Order: sequence, then C-alpha cells, then structure tokens
Amino acid sequence: MLTVAAARPFPYSFDIATTALLVIDMQRDFLEPGGFGESLGNDVGQLRRTIAPLAALLAGARAVGLTVVHTREGHLPDLSDCPPAKLHRGAPSKRIGDPGPKGRILVRGEYGHDIIDELAPLPGEPVVDKPGKGAFYATGLDALLAQRGIRSLLVTGVTTEVCVHTTVREANDRGYECLVLADCVGSYFPEFQRVGLDMIAAQGGILGWVVDSTEVLAALPSATVSQPSS
Amino acid sequence: MARIGPVTANPYPWPYDGAADTTRTALLCIDWQTDFCGPGGYVDAMGYDLSLTRSGLPATARLLAHARSLGMLVVHTREGHDPDLSDLPANKRWRSARIGAEIGGAGPCGRILVRGEPGWEIVPEVAPAPGEVIVDKPGKGAFYATNLDLVLRTRGITHLILTGITTDVCVHTTMREANDRGYECLILSDCTGATDKGNHDAALHMVTMQGGVFGCVATSDDVIAATAR
Repeated sequence: MLTVAAARPFPYSFDIATTALLVIDMQRDFLEPGGFGESLGNDVGQLRRTIAPLAALLAGARAVGLTVVHTREGHLPDLSDCPPAKLHRGAPSKRIGDPGPKGRILVRGEYGHDIIDELAPLPGEPVVDKPGKGAFYATGLDALLAQRGIRSLLVTGVTTEVCVHTTVREANDRGYECLVLADCVGSYFPEFQRVGLDMIAAQGGILGWVVDSTEVLAALPSATVSQPSS
Repeated sequence: MARIGPVTANPYPWPYDGAADTTRTALLCIDWQTDFCGPGGYVDAMGYDLSLTRSGLPATARLLAHARSLGMLVVHTREGHDPDLSDLPANKRWRSARIGAEIGGAGPCGRILVRGEPGWEIVPEVAPAPGEVIVDKPGKGAFYATNLDLVLRTRGITHLILTGITTDVCVHTTMREANDRGYECLILSDCTGATDKGNHDAALHMVTMQGGVFGCVATSDDVIAATAR
C-alpha cells in the first residue's frame, strides 16, 4: 500500500495493482488553438499548463505498470448519440458536427477529436469514447475497471469543473476512491479550478482527495525498486 | 396541460427548444431530509448553520404547490442506505466516520442516513403528497443505481426543474447525470442551498458558463411567471 501523505483533506492510500490513472479528454479540440474550446471564446493556455506535469505522471505511471485509461468526448458521425439539448443549446459560433479547422467538431474519428500528441495513448491502453461529460454514462468504463480489479482512480484531464467533476462524482457514487491531481487538471476559468478542487475535498472528502502530481510521483516506487526481487 | 417557458434564465431563455409543457416537465425535489435541513438532524448537530440548507424551503414549498396545481410530475429523492448497509461503499462509510457522522451509526435522529429512520425522512414543509414518486438513492446522484431514468422516460419527461440540497453535491451530481442523459435542466437558485454559501454560488455559476454547459439557472418566480394554462 502506497500513501500520499500530503493529500487533502487527509492522506490517500492506494495499491498499484488496483489503481488506474484516468486521463480525461486531453483532446486537440479542447487544448489546441483553433479547436472547439477556443471557438467558444476560451483561453486554451489555461488548459495547456497541465500537459507537462501530466506527461511526467504518465511516464511514471507506465514505468511502474499502473493501468492507464484515456477518455475522449465525442459523437458518432451521424450525431445519433448527441442529445438535442446538447446540440442546440446556447449560441456558440460553431456547433457539434460543424466543420472546424481540425475536422468536424467533437466527432469521432476527426483529427480534433483525438488526444494531443504529447499524451498519445500507447498500444494496449484503453481509450473510452464517451458521449457525455461523465466517463461512466453510456460507456464500458465501469466494466473495464471492474474486470481489472480497479478500486482507486488517479484523476487527470480537462476541464476541472465539467468532465473531470462529472466523472469523479460518478466514480465516487460507484465506490471508487478518487484522487484528483490539482496540477494535472485544468479549467478555462481560474475561479472554477480553485472552487472545483475545494468542492472535492470539502465535508471530509465528500467526492474524493486532492493533491499535486509530484506527491504521487514521490510515493511511487522507483524503477529500480520495482524490479522483481527475491 | 400548461405551457412552461420560455423562462427568463441564465444564460439563455429556458428551455433550448422554446417551451415545454407540464406533460414533459418534472419537478425534482432532491434530499430535503431532516438530517440535512431539519432541526435536530445531523447537519444541525454538527454545528453547521442550518439556515443555509433551509433557505430554499419556502420557495420550494410554493413552487411545489404550483406544480401540483398544474398536474406536473413531482419526484422526490432521498439519500440513504439499507439498514444492513449492504449498499454503502466502504470508502463512503470510512469518510463519514472520519468526520464524526458515520453512516449507519447512531445520530441525533436515529441511525444516520439509514432508510426508515426519522432523520432520513423528508421535512414536513415539502413532504411528498400521496402518489408522488419517491426515489431512494445510495449515492449523490439520483440516477445511479435507481429507477429514476426509467420513471422519467416512462412518463415522457424530457425537461427537469431542479430544487433541493445541497447545491454543489447532490443537486449538481444529479443535474450532470441528467444532462448527459439528454434532459434539458433548469436549476433554481432560490430553491437550493449548501452548507457553504461560496460553493452554492460557484455551483450555480458553473452551470451558466460555456453557453449553459449543464442547462440554465433561474428562480422559482421566473418559472411561475412563465407558466400559462
């Protein structure tokens, strides 16, 4: 059992064998200039600060054999899995399915829908495609985690108050222990980044735990220690 | 049948499709339970300011009467667990114990968050009327491990008006679940509340961003004003 003593509201313990690193929606449409996120008037720089720490955490997780699961938000090309309320709500300059500079917006298979190169999934790492903000609804994520015996989740990705929060809430109700990595989740809005993290740890960790990724990396066994021994 | 909408709401006139009606819209009353907002419940016993979680009760009671007069579907939810705690995740129990309010343990109004106990009951101000749907949920969200989605779809409900406590925990989790399932949601600022006013305000603000990422925010007056028989 490994322990991250610095986690708030109190120390977080996990086993490598029963823990997965969840990387949520690190997609070009959300993170790159010219994508869907920017078309809504957002500053993608607020999200891009997560890339370097997340890449380091991903490398550390892979080195010790932690399960890694990626998610992508997007819809079928015929939009048959896009609720009308999602498609037509508000007045963004572009809608889901419209042509964008990186292909059709939030449509599976398009360039902009895929994960950024810096965090590209390795062969064999599951990629869960989800039609909603939460990664559990209408996906195989719960079955995938159960099959591997996963009970704890290290949660990263974007955006903090939307897809990360919705997924953490779903996971928490399902009994998973969620540690959200503050420097590896990002919001377009600094206020929501702060309060989003506070809400998770509030009331005795009502939704989970929060800490920086460096604390998790420090808790992982080093590559040499993780070698098989006697 | 009565028309509902367009409701003056933030960030767009609700609903997205112009107007709903009372056959397609349900009023959700989330976790108005004694342990969360009643005198002598465990939130009270833990020393929180009870006025924060009770602040939405008068407006909700008024809207509830309005919804009933229109024949709208009303659904109440209660968070709680079986007496044998077989549906209580280990980490939820452990965390509740850690802050001195262990679920299943003795509380000021019976066993904390256990179905059938006095503290788990809905407070009288917004108590369910005979025949109204009550959904018992083991989590923060009202959709996970419950029949809520089935009940709503069976009744042809496509639009939800959300009230209840607490804004940032159970109401928000339920709104997010509903939004992913395609329901058009409206959360009412005067019919919700949280143990922390800052979290209440932030949770409402989050809804309004990015063109209404989870739906809209309005008040009960806005809803009543936008109803036409």
